[in-house]
Amino acid sequence: MAGHTIRFSPQGRVTEAPTGTLLSEAVARAGIDLVQPCGGQGRCGRCVAQVCSGEIRARSTLRLSEADLEAGYVLACQAVVEGDAEISIPPQEELTRHLTSDRTAGAVSLPQGYDPQSSQTIRRIHLDIAPPSTDDQTDDWSRLLGALRRQASIGNISADLNLLRRLGVILRASGWRVVIVLDQPVQNGNARLLDIGPPETDEMPLYGITVDIGTTTVTVWLVDLLTGDVKAQASEYNQQIRRGEDIIARIIYASKNDGGHELRQLVLQTINGLVDTVCQRARTRPEHVVKAAVSGNTTMLHLLLGIPPASIRLTPFVPVVNQPPPLTAAEIGLEIHPRATVDCLPGVASYVGADITAGTLSSGLEHAETTSLFIDVGTNGEIVLGSREWLIACACSAGPAFEGAGVRDGMRATKGAIEEVWISSETLEPTCRVIGGGKPRGLCGSGLISLIAELFLNGLLDKAGNVNVGIEHPRLQMGEHGAEYVLVWAEDTVHGENIVLNHVDVDNLLRAKAAIYAGFSVLAESVGMPLEEAQQVLVGGSFGQYINVEKAIEIGLFPDVAWEKFKFLGNTSVQGAYLALIDRKARQKIADIAARMTYLELSADNTFYEAFTSALFLPHTDMSRFPSVAQKLARPQEKERAP
Amino acid sequence: MPIEIPKDKWPGKIRTVTLGATSEQGGSRGKTVTLGGASTLPFMNFEAPMPHPPQIAFELRDRRPDDWSAVVLDVWGGAADDPAVWARAAEEQGADLLQLSLSLTNAQGNPTTPQMAVAATRKVLESSSLPLMVYGPGQAEADNELLVAVAEATKGERLALGICEDKNYRTIVAAALANDHLVVARAPMDVNLSKQLNILITDMGLPPDRILMDPTCGALGYGIEYGYSVMERLRLAALQGDSMTQNPMTVSVGFESWKTKEAKVGADVPSAWGEWTERGIQWETLTAVTLLEAGADLVILRHPESLRRVRLAIQDLASIAQAA
Repeated sequence: MAGHTIRFSPQGRVTEAPTGTLLSEAVARAGIDLVQPCGGQGRCGRCVAQVCSGEIRARSTLRLSEADLEAGYVLACQAVVEGDAEISIPPQEELTRHLTSDRTAGAVSLPQGYDPQSSQTIRRIHLDIAPPSTDDQTDDWSRLLGALRRQASIGNISADLNLLRRLGVILRASGWRVVIVLDQPVQNGNARLLDIGPPETDEMPLYGITVDIGTTTVTVWLVDLLTGDVKAQASEYNQQIRRGEDIIARIIYASKNDGGHELRQLVLQTINGLVDTVCQRARTRPEHVVKAAVSGNTTMLHLLLGIPPASIRLTPFVPVVNQPPPLTAAEIGLEIHPRATVDCLPGVASYVGADITAGTLSSGLEHAETTSLFIDVGTNGEIVLGSREWLIACACSAGPAFEGAGVRDGMRATKGAIEEVWISSETLEPTCRVIGGGKPRGLCGSGLISLIAELFLNGLLDKAGNVNVGIEHPRLQMGEHGAEYVLVWAEDTVHGENIVLNHVDVDNLLRAKAAIYAGFSVLAESVGMPLEEAQQVLVGGSFGQYINVEKAIEIGLFPDVAWEKFKFLGNTSVQGAYLALIDRKARQKIADIAARMTYLELSADNTFYEAFTSALFLPHTDMSRFPSVAQKLARPQEKERAP
Repeated sequence: MPIEIPKDKWPGKIRTVTLGATSEQGGSRGKTVTLGGASTLPFMNFEAPMPHPPQIAFELRDRRPDDWSAVVLDVWGGAADDPAVWARAAEEQGADLLQLSLSLTNAQGNPTTPQMAVAATRKVLESSSLPLMVYGPGQAEADNELLVAVAEATKGERLALGICEDKNYRTIVAAALANDHLVVARAPMDVNLSKQLNILITDMGLPPDRILMDPTCGALGYGIEYGYSVMERLRLAALQGDSMTQNPMTVSVGFESWKTKEAKVGADVPSAWGEWTERGIQWETLTAVTLLEAGADLVILRHPESLRRVRLAIQDLASIAQAA
């Protein structure tokens, strides 16, 4: 097949591609980064490229306007190379880091009464081994086992071939005095030999890492295994984002061509980069990391392990594995000590993964005396209800609205995102807080929640989310999708265009919040407990930290319970993984949580739809569930206003 | 042996809603029609009396319809050419009230103007003494423009203006509020959506006893079970005390039934389908009676023979239940 020459500007890159190649593939081949938030399904309209000249056939032009088409714009994921071409790639969105865990670094404290000796599975042992002689021709490995049995009372260990190949040399070079590093997951149980070296190995510290793979953000902590102290933390956007913003888009991407391999490489690059960062900060090297505890949702763990996640998306929604066996860094591709134990924490179901079992442990729900709620808000909202006696969980797909996608002026919580809004009840003029200061570019999830709550309480939106066209105000105008509210005028924005909220945006957000609230209510109903009786509402997930409780209640996202019952915990998943890394008892508890957590599949529950439509209202069709909001609506003049 | 029939007692009750105003009440109607008031499920007279049995309306158009079944148009004959004649004929055929649907355009394809809508409404009011419901053409902008004019021109008549939907209710409700009319609130076959629309409308200040709920129905063979189930659940919620579901229900049975192939098409159908006219009437009658059992307080029909049959069914159901 003949190759065509594709030239890209302004990057100045050139690549060859045969007829029928997707333009997005040619772009990738040329080493140019082009975001594809929808996973290359032609739905999001973000991977636009301009055909300056040449033969490119567009299969679908969804989301492109007449003017775009005339100017030669195509969707790279939907355009096919048919001849030589010159392509212009517009500048991609800048990702300014706005990551929570960097802010909260150092806030981690060791569990009370923590004893690394008995809690840590990694052990370092000095051995004096009797050298062989013609009288004692016992082989080297049996000699080592004998010494270990006598000196450390450890009966059964295993080693891999690489170590056996080096065993004889090391023993003789070190004069039969060595230090060995073992992993013994169960006290007095079988152990695995991780490394063997001369006695000086003692000087080298033993490190572990905890990894939390979020759909959006990956977090790595470096931990001193001898003390349990966290030495460094770092977070970074999951590089898979550009191949799909939500789990479903990633699963679709993974099942196409070599998508699964690419996604695995992307997350490995992300993690390995973070490991380098934390090691540099702690002045150590990745090969000193001998243990890893990995948390994340079920799909993310499948993608890390290179296990096809396709069945997660298809009925009956079954993953390949909920509880992966212990693995080694080398087989996964983590660039730490090749024989390091990698412990992927156990999940419960396709949409209730290790992030939730780990979060249930670290949130304290597992010990709660009275019934409490634990929720992890993100693209998927996972909800756990229970106490130390029982646990029940469900997951609902909120869609990406909270992460700023599917909303006209939505964006992730990066620089330039409006994160909070106040509207004056007298003038109906807004005041905005923008991440990083400066001019705003769009609205992130917390900004959207805040804006909708303010519009609603000021009568600019009715309970169905319709813009109240009965009010005369310059900020209320007719747009492409009917009535809309102009939050920021063009001259005050980065891009020189109005930032507006239209009815489609409100609908998307209403659906997202209704899905989460319906999850709450179905879960509560399934155990016959009124939602309002929850003693605590534990909110995990880094997005959760930015939610203003008052506003989240006003739009009916969170149940109307007293504010002091809410506890914002940040990244509960990585905190749980940390506990699992340093404490074998905590690790066992996570396994117990996974085993005893009941999973409620909402798609099989016919009350969910009813609960969902009932929650598709501000704040809810059943106003008696939101007494504090009813009170505010009845006395609008007494509302609190920000200065 | 005497059998004790168990009786349910419900905490809630359906609101009464009165359409039309006589001259003493500020209108020009010869009578008013009151719907609702039930405190148990339909036709369960042995549990509680049915103070206002279901009523029947005829649907009329402001001009001869282009899309109605020939079976219906034939029976109305030339009356369908003039709303005044049609209204008089409909009253003579025994309707309890009338429902006038405004067309989007006139016969020449020009948009219906507010003046034309008002003129058609006036004709109906002048030639009939029955309470009236007026529905717009079903496009938000046209509905708002025409219904506001109609509402203002007929202030005090207590017309029922329709159709309010969750995306377009504000203008119609405001017009009803200002001119002493009622509204019809239609939601697409969903208990929560019906309830939400009632909340939106009462939030604007319209008293609940000026709202009729249209839960949207499907004709026999075209989703009637789904509509039935939604109406039944609305009625149960109302009887259990859920205030925002306690409005009387109206259903556009004629509209739904006569657009089915079975009712609309006479030629090239299997002979087993039977005679066309009878089939169409049966379709409308069975749909209406089924939905009355689900809790409809008002059925809007098109064919006079259907009205007679549905009327009989209502009488029979009411008397049998009473005898029990």
